[in-house]
Amino acid sequence: MRARIIAALLLAGVFACAPQVTNAQQKFDPHDFSGIWLRKGGDRAISNKPPALTAEGLARMMKNIPVRRRNGETPFAETPEKSNDPAFACNPKGFPRMLVDTAHDWHEVIQLPDRILQLWQEERRPREIWIDGRAVPSGENLDNLGPSWYGHSVGHWEGNTLVVQTVGLDDRAWIDVFGYPKSDVARVEERYRRADADTLEVQLTLFDPRYYTAPWVSDTKTFKREAREKVTFFGWYGLFSGLGELICAPMNANGVNKRGG
Amino acid sequence: MKKLLVFFLFATPLFAHHGRGATYDMKKQVTLKGVITEVSWRNPHVAIYMDVKDPDGKVLNWAFENSNVSTLARQGYNRNTLRAGQEITAVVNPSAQGTPRGLVVKVILADGKVVMSRESGANPVD
Amino acid sequence: MFAFLLVFFASSAVFAQGKPAFDPHDLSGFWIASGAERHALGGKAPSLTPEGVAAMKGRVPDSVNRLPGNAPWYQCNPMGFPRLVLDNEPIEFIMTKDRVIELFQWEWTLRELWLDGRQLPSGDNLENLGPAWYGHSVAQWQGDMLVVNTVGLDERAWLDNQGNPKSFYARIEERYRRVDPDTIEFQLTLDDPKFYTTPWVGAKKTYKRMPIKAVTNSGWKGLYSGNTDAICAPMNEVDDYNKRFRDPAAFGNKK
Repeated sequence: MRARIIAALLLAGVFACAPQVTNAQQKFDPHDFSGIWLRKGGDRAISNKPPALTAEGLARMMKNIPVRRRNGETPFAETPEKSNDPAFACNPKGFPRMLVDTAHDWHEVIQLPDRILQLWQEERRPREIWIDGRAVPSGENLDNLGPSWYGHSVGHWEGNTLVVQTVGLDDRAWIDVFGYPKSDVARVEERYRRADADTLEVQLTLFDPRYYTAPWVSDTKTFKREAREKVTFFGWYGLFSGLGELICAPMNANGVNKRGG
Repeated sequence: MKKLLVFFLFATPLFAHHGRGATYDMKKQVTLKGVITEVSWRNPHVAIYMDVKDPDGKVLNWAFENSNVSTLARQGYNRNTLRAGQEITAVVNPSAQGTPRGLVVKVILADGKVVMSRESGANPVD
Repeated sequence: MFAFLLVFFASSAVFAQGKPAFDPHDLSGFWIASGAERHALGGKAPSLTPEGVAAMKGRVPDSVNRLPGNAPWYQCNPMGFPRLVLDNEPIEFIMTKDRVIELFQWEWTLRELWLDGRQLPSGDNLENLGPAWYGHSVAQWQGDMLVVNTVGLDERAWLDNQGNPKSFYARIEERYRRVDPDTIEFQLTLDDPKFYTTPWVGAKKTYKRMPIKAVTNSGWKGLYSGNTDAICAPMNEVDDYNKRFRDPAAFGNKK
């Protein structure tokens, strides 16, 4: 009896001194990405080490005039109105630019039985990653479907990693703010992993043999879960409100910056 | 160019969908026989460009517009239904301005098959 | 997934006259509206207040003989709410525990109808939130009817193709009622005393369920694909269509 009391006291002592379990250390379901995520880490292009472009890829890149330059050979504009960045005129950023660019902050993941929805605050854009067992479009089907700004995405689980393939992308959307191009044969593979309760990581690879001499493998991009109160403004929780309006509307553009956002 | 500042406050007639935005002579039909030069299969306006030879042998590039991409998709059409280089006959309501632009009535393929027909309801341009 | 379906059907509402069971609180699926009123609220339009008349100034709708007006969507500005729902294009309802998500094929965008018990923004909160093209929507179930209220809309989006106005202080109420497995009845009312002398009760509309075949393109099921990409991109609409097609057709070679 005495031993039990001492044991109980010791145990109580242990619990009293135990460090607080942080959110990040909480148990979590690695197959559940639900929540609002804020981009925290990783380059704002696929990576800052792109593979060499093919001759066709370089010729295409020479037509793009971004406001930021990484490649010493290609043109860039000193001011936005001299740039032909299609996003400045409210053309869709498309995929993968919407994912890699750090210009915007948030997206929300809604997890459904047949798909994973990414709701991007910028452009108010839903993206569907289908996990219903469908095939990645190819051949005649892909040709008839045609290009789309956000492509056609199919995901499957490999253990705790969600692997997503996206094909059928519109080649008029740049990969990033630096004007790197992608062709209409581009395929993007994403590998998502929920590293802890509050951290989502993704690594992408661009397969585009028409424009690049090798696959372009990204660094790790990190997203952190946002606490509810940080995405609540004036009583309104969520990514979409007048306060967070990030639809690019041409009528919002002004003379200095063509951007309508 | 003067704009017509006329307000029509009654219900819009059928053809103000996403705003066809062009003026056509709906009482006239023109038959265009020629070769497709460009297929612009994009929302909200699908436009088909084609070279048409007139009786004098002169070639004029015409264009006609259709329903939107989503509606055409539900009818089973896609961007490969018509292709550059393809010979077609297009029946259109021509622009009232006399320019080589039109609103589709129907498209007849080289083998006689009718596709994207507005008169049958498969290409509802409203 | 199969277990989910079994549970779903087991807990569904009771049969009515031999029809298969359905849950009136489940609006999920692909739907398309039909009915005579398109791009318009329908119903009896109330008269405008002087402020409403002023708000319409400068707006040029398409004329009867289709000369293009200056609707903001011609430059790819968002259609906004409620204009987008008046388009009668495919939408998908997705039910989650805290909201109904409406996915729109046209414009490749969404609305969130919040079911989490929050308040409709008002007063200082509404002023601080500011206008949004699609507003701020709060939903609640009243029996088998989903009632949605939306406030804080952007005045620059036209209500309809005529250029009718709606103010930032407007409140739009929608009523959705699923009456059978394949039908949702819908009605929209605009309450905007700043611009209209009385509320504008819109015409009743019917949403019909779209068969899966109708939303499947080349083996790809869903609203969004290259074949149905309905994003208005200025490089398509303004730089290409307007310049190369619309203006020669509408204005001849003068413009």
